[in-house]
Amino acid sequence: MDKEALFSQISQALVDMEENTVVELCKKTLEINIPAYETITQALIPGMDRVSRLYEEEEYFLPEVLICSDAMNAGIDIVKPHLDKNLLEKPVKVVIGVVEGDTHDIGKNLVRIMMEAAGFEVYDLGRDVPLDRFINKAEEVGSDFIGMSTLMTTTMDGMKTVIDKLKEKNIRDKYKVLIGGGPISQSFADRIGADLYTKDASEAVRRVKEIMGRS
Amino acid sequence: MQIREDILTPRERVLAFLQGKPLDRIICMPIVTSNAAHLIGKNIMEFQLDPEVMAKSYIAAYEKFGFDLVYLFTNCSYVAEAMGAELVYSDDEPANSEVPAVNSIEDLSKIKVAEKHDGKFPVFYEALDILNRNIGDKVFLSVCFSGPVSTAATLRGTERFAKDTYANPELCHTLLRMATDSCKNFIREVVAHGAMPIILEPIASGSIFSPKMYQKFAFPYIKELIDLAHELGALIPLHICGKTHKIVDQMADSGTDVVSLDECSLEVAKEKVAGRAVILGNITPATDLLFGPVERIHQVCKEAIETMKDYKPGFFLSSGCEIPTKVPFEHIQAMMDAARSYGAYDYNKGE
Repeated sequence: MDKEALFSQISQALVDMEENTVVELCKKTLEINIPAYETITQALIPGMDRVSRLYEEEEYFLPEVLICSDAMNAGIDIVKPHLDKNLLEKPVKVVIGVVEGDTHDIGKNLVRIMMEAAGFEVYDLGRDVPLDRFINKAEEVGSDFIGMSTLMTTTMDGMKTVIDKLKEKNIRDKYKVLIGGGPISQSFADRIGADLYTKDASEAVRRVKEIMGRS
Repeated sequence: MQIREDILTPRERVLAFLQGKPLDRIICMPIVTSNAAHLIGKNIMEFQLDPEVMAKSYIAAYEKFGFDLVYLFTNCSYVAEAMGAELVYSDDEPANSEVPAVNSIEDLSKIKVAEKHDGKFPVFYEALDILNRNIGDKVFLSVCFSGPVSTAATLRGTERFAKDTYANPELCHTLLRMATDSCKNFIREVVAHGAMPIILEPIASGSIFSPKMYQKFAFPYIKELIDLAHELGALIPLHICGKTHKIVDQMADSGTDVVSLDECSLEVAKEKVAGRAVILGNITPATDLLFGPVERIHQVCKEAIETMKDYKPGFFLSSGCEIPTKVPFEHIQAMMDAARSYGAYDYNKGE
């Protein structure tokens, strides 16, 4: 089987939520000496891109995205040990988490999944994250973005606190701040001075790529 | 804007609506819940645990706003709690489940079908008794509880539940069956206390599941609850949070009396529900109601009232979801004012 046909089968199996098929086909790429880098960037990531589009078009929802993401990660696990890291371009780095006081993390997890699928380096701080940790982690890893999420109105002001703290420390310009979640809107983002608000995970990835000139 | 004082009591208004008689104004029921505790100097923890605090909070809120329905609700996880889930209570926030109860098939033995006196259910019954004695002659009472899908997802953890819909549908159905039976036990008792049960399904949302999955995992169980309420002679609204534009017709198919909407265009809802149920909604809690200003709230209420003007059997003005704690009370008042102004009808008493 030629490489292109194999890649398109991997993508298709990923979109069809067939994890075992993805794993078998990824093993086959190694048997015929296809570089791991190509399998990731030309089969697995394009498959997850299609999933991301299907999600944005409301054809796929939470269960489908989670299962496709598992399939993608299973495929990556197969080829990763053979990956030549020199070939990778410098990834977009994002520190992400659900702000202090809130434990709803489904939305944030979707954003992480889609960002990882796009090849970003994601530092997921989890949920109920103390506000200083966003800044400390971003400083530590030299992040490009700080992403904050919440589903609750009671905790959304925490996002403003993080932005204010960045200003106090004179490091506001080092980071782009991305926010999202149920009660968040463009007008709230404008009000607190966030750089980017998106309504869902797919849009977040697309807009971050645009900002970083990676589209 | 001219605000006219109410002519009918909320109870008279809702009864008139049900009997097809003229009303003095549009029915308006902002979803005021635990934040009412702040009206009497109590916190949300006390509100969730002490029936007297709960009842007095609603009495204060009713006296302040004169809304058309007392809407008892504490948190999204209390049915799961009654089935055996552990909740985390904090001072001034709704309790929530941080660690799912069912991490494996074996954990099914840790949960059970909730009986009528399990968990915090009795808090509601006692609060209803107090409310019935004090304001039951003036306003109808209701109790809102998480339905089968949201309860099952709380027990299992939402992401795992979501994956199980493909990987282990049998486990989903086992949990849904137990959650449905628990809800039924609660509904019987709520109705026996003279209140209307309201199904809340934040997890069966069109923001989380496809319409196909809704049909498979949500619809049959929700319908079972609706059928039970109808057998008991009660009306039963169905509220689904988040996006519902793709499932609003399925919500109506289940036979609910009131389709209660969060993020869904009223134009779309009007067309898809097509007279099969009352539509209730949907002033945005986290933007319009939270930030106002008052004039903006008046404007969005006016637009909703106009969009739904000729809709039969009727449109009730409400918030799209529970009103968050941080919403200023003046903003809730602004909604009531809009109902008493743009929603006022020509009315002659004794007609």
